[in-house]
Amino acid sequence: MSFMLLGILNSQAAGGGAGAYDLLETTTLATSASSVTFTGLGSYSDYAHLQIRYVARNDYSTYPDWTILQFNSDTGANYKSHYIRGYGSIDAKVSSELRVGLTPGATSTANAFGVGVIDILDFGSTAKNTTTRTLSGLNIFNDPRIWLGGGLWVDTSAVTSITLDQSRASNFLSGSRFSLYGIKGA
Amino acid sequence: MATPTYDLLASTTLATAASSVTFSSIDQSYGDLIIIVNSLGSTTLEARIRLNSDSGSNYNFARMSGNGSSGTSAELASQTSGSLSVIADATTGEAILLKLELQDYTATDKHKSMLARANQSATGSEATALRWASTAAVTAIEILTSTGNWAIGGTFNLYGVAK
Repeated sequence: MSFMLLGILNSQAAGGGAGAYDLLETTTLATSASSVTFTGLGSYSDYAHLQIRYVARNDYSTYPDWTILQFNSDTGANYKSHYIRGYGSIDAKVSSELRVGLTPGATSTANAFGVGVIDILDFGSTAKNTTTRTLSGLNIFNDPRIWLGGGLWVDTSAVTSITLDQSRASNFLSGSRFSLYGIKGA
Repeated sequence: MATPTYDLLASTTLATAASSVTFSSIDQSYGDLIIIVNSLGSTTLEARIRLNSDSGSNYNFARMSGNGSSGTSAELASQTSGSLSVIADATTGEAILLKLELQDYTATDKHKSMLARANQSATGSEATALRWASTAAVTAIEILTSTGNWAIGGTFNLYGVAK
């Protein structure tokens, strides 16, 4: 026996006031870009946490490229990430970059994109270093990945900007999308 | 101004056991979809997915799992449905908790990528990345079993996330 729901309609999508989980900004690339930055995050002080949901592909020539985060334009050696990956085998890695996943490159399966959900916790705090957690993945021929990770920015500044970049200096391709959400606290 | 999002689009609680639950005519105005399943099975089963009723060999996945003593990983390509979880074990009496994220489901220039997380404390935890090798917009989602049925009382909820 199967159970089927017919005619699903959305009655809540348009307009209305803000809730506990709100879309703040979205960037969908019309042309390739080396990075994507969300700025002015101090204006989102109503929120306790941020979440980024992305769908991305890059132009790196050989392999998928690591997507990394940087905060407040800090390009110093102030980041760390640990992650476990499954790809038929399983392993655990540490990096001095804040890696959040891999995105397919130029030679990867056509039309395949990497996806991820990144939580940036207590981003407005000035008492704690900033931490992140990520679930991400891509599934391309001969090189699939599922990824669970944690990240650290060794800085107690409030996060006012977030940059998504590629570790190997590739470009995000057009069609890549990055959406920023706010999550209310107490 | 912030845009409210994460809207419940459809929900069902099974009054009778069923081998699958299908969400159809899905609203196309959101960016991502999230499905949360909490259900026992009639037997030990694998949770699987089909999009737009496609039973062709178009599903690919990579999974990693932990069971309290070891971590393992599996990957398979060209499957006739996508594997969401293999930890639903009816003998434990504990419902599987499964969360599925489907990004950019309306895009017609992308294969559809999904992330699944499943837990059952008696058997383990899993994370799975899936790809449906089609650029068609997703209008229907079927959550099915590999064998047996989803049990009475199983809940299936579909949410839309604005982009």
